[in-house]
Amino acid sequence: MIIGMRSARRPDRAAALGSGNPQTQAGEHLTAGTGWNVFSYLIAGMLTYGGLGWLISHFTHISLFFPIGMLVGLAISVGWIIYRYGRPFEQGNPPKGDDR
Amino acid sequence: MTGAVAAAAGGCHIFSGCGYPAPSLDNFIFTPIFSIGSFHFTKPMLLAILSALAVIVFFWAAFAKPKLIPGRTQSLGEMGLLAVRDQVLRPALGKKGDAYLPFIISLFFYILVCNLMELIPLLQFPVMSRIGFVWPLVLMMYGLYWYLGFKAKGFFGYFRSWIPSAPWPILIILVPVEILKYVVVQPFTLGVRLFANMFAGHLLLSIFMVATWYLASFSVGLLYAAGSLFMVFFVFLLELLVDLLQAFIFTTLISTYIADSLEHQH
Repeated sequence: MIIGMRSARRPDRAAALGSGNPQTQAGEHLTAGTGWNVFSYLIAGMLTYGGLGWLISHFTHISLFFPIGMLVGLAISVGWIIYRYGRPFEQGNPPKGDDR
Repeated sequence: MTGAVAAAAGGCHIFSGCGYPAPSLDNFIFTPIFSIGSFHFTKPMLLAILSALAVIVFFWAAFAKPKLIPGRTQSLGEMGLLAVRDQVLRPALGKKGDAYLPFIISLFFYILVCNLMELIPLLQFPVMSRIGFVWPLVLMMYGLYWYLGFKAKGFFGYFRSWIPSAPWPILIILVPVEILKYVVVQPFTLGVRLFANMFAGHLLLSIFMVATWYLASFSVGLLYAAGSLFMVFFVFLLELLVDLLQAFIFTTLISTYIADSLEHQH
């Protein structure tokens, strides 16, 4: 569906991807679950570094490490999501995200 | 019959001196239909079996003797099959994923029928709002896509495929996130999403149904009862959408995870 939208808006790029029937090509270019993958990354990042922060605050008795850890985790997730799914096609990067 | 509904059915109306019998967790606990020793057979179990039977019987009727010019049941079956194939399976797995079509179809329609049980009069309970039915399903799916990952990439190869291609300082930061994503977040969100939606939906429907009954009396309450009845219809339609959507999301995610297990490119 998303690929179809892409080919309507940017036929040149759709052609560059070499996509014939979008549904047969979609296996190589994952689309449907990408949003949920992003969601998983957001939670996993906060959970990992929030957990780490919680552990540190538990042992040091400085409660600030827990929220800091969560924010750091969120930042890492967002950064990774942008790197993995948001790289512009024009720069010669293979499409990695939703808009494939 | 659950506590709140029983109280309402027993003539508990507004201005009759009894408070609103609010639906609660009691609505999700049933007295056993029968018991064998310490095993209690309850309504959700019966509905789960009925759902499975409904799916089996429908697809049996549709495809046991397929004809070139399909009859009504076969047409309906084909419509469902093609919808799931084109909207769920192919976007994630592509054409090579057609091998998983029977599995995904069965899963989709089983969850859908289980969910729709909340809207069928007299049955009126979504099986998946009991988390005991959701976790085994999630565990099975979890086992499946891990198994497929091991089969496709080898034991260590599968774990290696979790590691994204990035410079090593970034890897130190990212690998814990990736591990937690695969081991905890994916199965957890898969299960909780389905359970919580069904749980909340059933509670919402119960609240307005009981409220309609409670407010119905020869007083100004009748006006409110009408409003509540409208909400029952509204939530009913909403739940119809949610039931379909949850079955769709669950199977879409499973297809995505299977695709992820079979080939993982960062």
